[in-house]
Amino acid sequence: MGVGFIVGVVGVLILSHAAYSTIQYRSLLKITGEEFSGPPINVLVELIAGPVLCLWAALTVPGKFLSILPHSDENRVVTLPANLDFMIFNHRGKAFPLELDLKVY
Amino acid sequence: MAVHEDSNPHKKKSSDALDEIPTFNVENMQNNTRVINYSRTFMSIIGGVIAGILGFTGLMGFIFYFLVMAITTVGLAAKTGFAVHSYFDSWNRIVLDGILGGLLSFVLFWTFAYDIVHIF
Repeated sequence: MGVGFIVGVVGVLILSHAAYSTIQYRSLLKITGEEFSGPPINVLVELIAGPVLCLWAALTVPGKFLSILPHSDENRVVTLPANLDFMIFNHRGKAFPLELDLKVY
Repeated sequence: MAVHEDSNPHKKKSSDALDEIPTFNVENMQNNTRVINYSRTFMSIIGGVIAGILGFTGLMGFIFYFLVMAITTVGLAAKTGFAVHSYFDSWNRIVLDGILGGLLSFVLFWTFAYDIVHIF
């Protein structure tokens, strides 16, 4: 969220600077009496750099894609049985040594 | 008799009844669709501002919008690592979803930027 957000803000600032430069260019054209055919070359460079940064921010800020396959590693569903009828609490399991390397999470 | 509570948050959804039913995780699918919509809306706004600054009028602006959407589609496909089927159920989601909704935002910011830069 942090870096991508700042990159997006920088891209928007570059675009607003390009807009301001174009406004000044148009007022200059009004003084000299020419027609507006296209923004000057530095504004065009800004109009390419700004949206590239914004595209990068648009792809990274909203979040990652999560896998929808049911058998991928990050979608493991572990549910413990919840019916009490088959649970036995008074057994000889406490006589065995405790095993701690079970993959339950 | 104890009540069997289903606390499974990953509700599966099956597509059709073949021998092997393809299921997928709906919650992640909604998350992915939301990410696509955010990305497309933001790029529509940026595209609108650029079209206004460049002074596009009429058909050229709409052509520019579809160009921006095509670039966004390529960017989204690259974000999935070009393995689209592990994140979405069909190509249509990543190619077509959100384009018409973004068109309205595009036109709004296009007219806004055009007015600010070229008229006032």
